[in-house]
Amino acid sequence: MIYNAQLIKQGAEAKVYLAPFCQRQAIIKERFTKAYRHPTLDKKLTSRRVVQEARCLSRCQRARIDTPTVYMVDTENYLIYMEYIEGCSVREYLVTPEGQTEAAQTKVAQDIGRALGLMHNIDVVHGDLTTSNLLMRNETGGSVVLIDFGLSYVSQLIEDKAVDLYVLERAFSSTHPNTEVMFEQILKAYGESGKASKQILKKLEDVRMRGRKRSMLG
Amino acid sequence: MESYPIDSLPTSGDIHMACFTAVKNAPDLKEKLQNQDKSLTFAMVESNLIMDVFQLLVAATKAAHDNKTGKLATQTVSSEIIYNLSPSKNIAESLKRFGIKEDTTSLIAVKIGGNPDEIMEEMSRTVSGNLVSFSKLDQERDMTKLRQYYKIDPKVTEDKEILNWIIGAIAMKNVQ
Ligand SMILES: Nc1ncnc2c1ncn2[C@@H]1O[C@H](COP(=O)(O)OP(=O)(O)OP(=O)(O)O)[C@@H](O)[C@H]1O
Ligand SMILES: [Mg+2]
Repeated sequence: MIYNAQLIKQGAEAKVYLAPFCQRQAIIKERFTKAYRHPTLDKKLTSRRVVQEARCLSRCQRARIDTPTVYMVDTENYLIYMEYIEGCSVREYLVTPEGQTEAAQTKVAQDIGRALGLMHNIDVVHGDLTTSNLLMRNETGGSVVLIDFGLSYVSQLIEDKAVDLYVLERAFSSTHPNTEVMFEQILKAYGESGKASKQILKKLEDVRMRGRKRSMLG
Repeated sequence: MESYPIDSLPTSGDIHMACFTAVKNAPDLKEKLQNQDKSLTFAMVESNLIMDVFQLLVAATKAAHDNKTGKLATQTVSSEIIYNLSPSKNIAESLKRFGIKEDTTSLIAVKIGGNPDEIMEEMSRTVSGNLVSFSKLDQERDMTKLRQYYKIDPKVTEDKEILNWIIGAIAMKNVQ
């Protein structure tokens, strides 16, 4: 039971609330168990996911990548209490008049590319990079914040990181027409901030090829 | 004294806290703690390791939750609040660092639940020192120790970011 909470998103895996916590407004993300899974196994899996998400957030924070601060983790009830980022998503921003300007898109692209480069440097693979999972902080004039580490994991594999980028590329092309230039700018900034970014970008080309083949067969 | 509700657990009562400076009886208080004196019903935190009231609220809220589920790592809710402030799982070391010492002159008394008037009376009767506003906390801070205990990267210099690191460390303790 979450008191005084306002449900802001009901997803397939989690509910997200805005609620007061220790005199602040906070986000509470509640993961739910799946009825079709074996109850004990399911509880274990669900709490492990919650822990994994919190760990990835914390790992990013300690690498100084802008992510919501974790306030409290309740593994019994599968809840993560975290900092509420006031702002809008990149997805929303890109359809505003300001977000359609070249200058604004370049700035956002650089922010995104840099953040992703740093995230991959510490071997965090996001797993669900979409423009909804990138927020822009009002407070700092719109700098990019990475959220939703619900599918994240730690991996050193170049392949995993390349797929991470590919997922974002697909999200861009399907939700935001005419943003090819912007995506190129993301990759450029990524290339400049990541340690193994050259290899990862090269791998991205393979991943794209496979993707194309698959869609031709599909 | 200030009182704050625990939004995530309203049934546990409010978090009450009072900030004291020029404390003269730290050795007595310390002795009472060591003897597990039952008349001491509130936690006493070393002020110089507190960056912000939010830090205290998070530690106390977590203690209230763990008390409710019967999962305290220490013996009492009071010691749990102090333990929760520490990023370390070593109980003895945590209590030593974040609790009061013989030479403590500035402390914060914290209690969850109960009648505010009675609590205020009890805290003032027990601690001999000056009751001051929490806005005085800034002057007590020992940044060197704070940085050391919470392992804050030297590149992190803004107060706000330091606080975020502190809160993150407190929150992640049970899931590391
Ligand atoms: N820390 C936050 N600050 C502000 N808004 C947030 C925050 N976290 C989540 N949100 C909002 O809630 C929405 C859903 O959150 P999130 O993306 O974490 O969950 P989800 O997509 O349902 O999760 P999952 O992909 O793990 O199933 C976000 O798109 C965003 O609008
Ligand atoms: Mg999401």
